[in-house]
Amino acid sequence: MRGRPNLYTDYNKESAIFSNNTQKSWFFIMVAFSFSLCFTASEYWIYLLTSSFLMSIAAWGLNIVSGFAGQINLAHGFFVGIGTYTSAVLGGIAGANVIGFELDMLIWLPVAGITAAIVGLIIAPITVRLKGLNLGLVTLALVFIGSHLFSNFKSLTGGAGLGRKVARLKLFGIYLENGYQIGDYFLEKNQILYLLSLTLCILCGLGIKNLVRSRAGRAYSAIRDGDIAAEAIGINIFRYKASAFALSSFFGGISGAMFFTVSGGVEPGTFNLLYSIVFVAIVVIGGAGTVLGPLFGAFFYTMFPAIIQLLLHVFEIGEQSLPLNLGQIERILFGLFIISFLIFEPRGLWGIWFRLRNYFKAWPFSY
Amino acid sequence: MSSLKFDNVTLKFGGITALNNVSFEVKPKSLYAIIGPNGAGKTSIFNCISGIYRPTEGDVSFGENNIKDLRPDQVADLGIARTFQNIELFENMTVLDNILIGAHRHLNYGPISSLLYTKKTRKSELAARKIAEEIIDFLEIEQFRYSYILSLPYGVQKRVEIGRALALNPEVLLLDEPAAGMNNEETEDIARFIIDIHEEMGKTIILVDHDMNMVMDIAEEVMVLNFGEKLAEGRPEEIVKDSKVIDAYLGVS
Repeated sequence: MRGRPNLYTDYNKESAIFSNNTQKSWFFIMVAFSFSLCFTASEYWIYLLTSSFLMSIAAWGLNIVSGFAGQINLAHGFFVGIGTYTSAVLGGIAGANVIGFELDMLIWLPVAGITAAIVGLIIAPITVRLKGLNLGLVTLALVFIGSHLFSNFKSLTGGAGLGRKVARLKLFGIYLENGYQIGDYFLEKNQILYLLSLTLCILCGLGIKNLVRSRAGRAYSAIRDGDIAAEAIGINIFRYKASAFALSSFFGGISGAMFFTVSGGVEPGTFNLLYSIVFVAIVVIGGAGTVLGPLFGAFFYTMFPAIIQLLLHVFEIGEQSLPLNLGQIERILFGLFIISFLIFEPRGLWGIWFRLRNYFKAWPFSY
Repeated sequence: MSSLKFDNVTLKFGGITALNNVSFEVKPKSLYAIIGPNGAGKTSIFNCISGIYRPTEGDVSFGENNIKDLRPDQVADLGIARTFQNIELFENMTVLDNILIGAHRHLNYGPISSLLYTKKTRKSELAARKIAEEIIDFLEIEQFRYSYILSLPYGVQKRVEIGRALALNPEVLLLDEPAAGMNNEETEDIARFIIDIHEEMGKTIILVDHDMNMVMDIAEEVMVLNFGEKLAEGRPEEIVKDSKVIDAYLGVS
C-alpha cells in the first residue's frame, strides 16, 4: 500500500527476509560498507574482518543445532576440522608425505561442507537418541576421537606438530594466491579472501534467515522447546535432529575450508577441545537461537583482542607494566564476559541490540 | 472416516498396572468422554493412542491400521492430534509459529529447500499460513497472533494448544482436560469451541475432563475409569445414575 510501507497487505510480504524497507535499506548499506572496507581498511583490519566473517559462518552452523534445535554440541570444531582437511586434500599441493589434488575452489568448497555433513549424518544414530548432558559427553568424546584421527592420518593432515598446507585459492582455473590484476587495480590475496568470505557470509546468513522462516527452522525450534509435543504434532524428531547436525556440520565445513587459507597452513593440534568450546562461547555471547546473534558473537570474539590492544595503545599503557601478559588478560576477560552474559543477558549481544533498537524506535517515549 | 478401537489394552510400569484390560471403540464423528478420579489412567489412554506409551498387551487400532507400535509422529500423520494436560506449547515462539508448526504435515519440503527458500517453499508456506489464519479466526485469538506464549494468560494458552492440534487437520482430536483450571465463563467458551469443532468441522473428539457439568452436557458417550479399569460406559444420562460410578467418582449430591 502506498504511503504506508509498514502495513502488510499480503502474507508473502510479511514473511519476506526483510519485512520492511528500513531493514532492507540497512542491509544494503551494511553490505556496501563492508565491500568498500576491502579497499580502505588496513591489512590488519582486513585480516580481522575476514576471520570474523568465516567465524560467523561456523557459529551459524553451531547455532542451528544448539540454538535452534537445542542440542548440545561440543564437537563443532571437529566438523570445522573435517572441512579444513577435506579442502586441503582436494585443493592443496601434494608434498613429501601428504596428498593433494590441487582442484578448483568450486569443487573443494562445497565438497568440504558436504563431507562434514556426511560425517554429521554418520554419527547421527547416536546423537539423535541422546539429549542434554549425555549428548554433551558423546560430542566431547568426538572431539578427542577427532584430534586423535587428525594427528595420525599423516598422509592427509601431515601429522601432529608438522601440519600441512591448505587448499590453494584457485577459482575458475585462475590462481589467486599472489593477487589478481583487474584493469589498473591490483587485488591483493587478503582482499580477494575478504571478498570471498564476505560473499559466503552474506549467502550463509540469508540461508539461516530462510531456515528460520520456514518449515525446518520451526521444526528445530519445536524440538528445542518440547520434544514430546513436537513428536505428537507429527515432527519426526530423529530425522530433524539428524538434519540439524548435518546442516550444522555443513556450515562448519564450509567455514573450515576457507578459514586457514588466510594463514596458508594448518596443524592438527588446532582442533582441540578449546577450539570447539570457542564456538559455543560465540553462540552464547552472541545470542543462541537468533539469526544475527552468531554474527555479533563472532565479531566480538575476533575483535576482542584487537580492541584490548587498541585500548592499551590509547591509554599508553606498556605491555611490560601489566601484571599478566596480554593473552592471559584476554582469556580472563573473555571468561568474565561469558559468565556475565549468562547471568545478565541470556539473549546475548543480540538481546542488547534488540533492546537498544526498540528503545530508539519508541524514543523519546519509554514504551 | 475410521473408528478408534482399544482391544484389551493393558499397560504396566514395573509392578504398577496403569491400564487393565481396557476395551472401547470410538465411532467416527462422535464426541466421546473419558472420566474418572485422578490416577485412573485417563491420560495413559491418550499416551497409548498417540504412541508415547506402548501397551504391554492388547491392540490399539485406527481404522485398518494397528497403531500400537507406531511412533508419535506416525500416529499424528494418520490424523490423530492431541493436546496435553499441562500445556506443552513451544514457549519461545509466537502463537502464529505454534499453529504453523501444527501445519507441519501439510508441508512437504525438506531442510535444504528451507535453506534456499525455493518457489515451492514460498507456495507451501503461503498455504500453511492460510490454514493457520483460518484457525486463528475460528478460535478468536487474532489479537494474540504475534504474542509469545510465555506472555499469554492460561486460558488463551489452552485455546492456542487446541489451535495447534487443529492445524494438523486431524480426523480425531484428543483433548486432555481442556477446561482444567478455568472459571465458568472460560469453560463455557471452551465447551462452545469443542461443540463447534465437533459439529461444524465434523471431527471425532475424545475428551478427558473433570468438569462434570461440561462433560455431561456435551458428550455423546462417556466411559468411566477407576484404577486403570473400565467401570462403566454409556450415554451421559445413564452414567450419572450408575451406582458404581457414583461410589467411585461422582459422589452423592
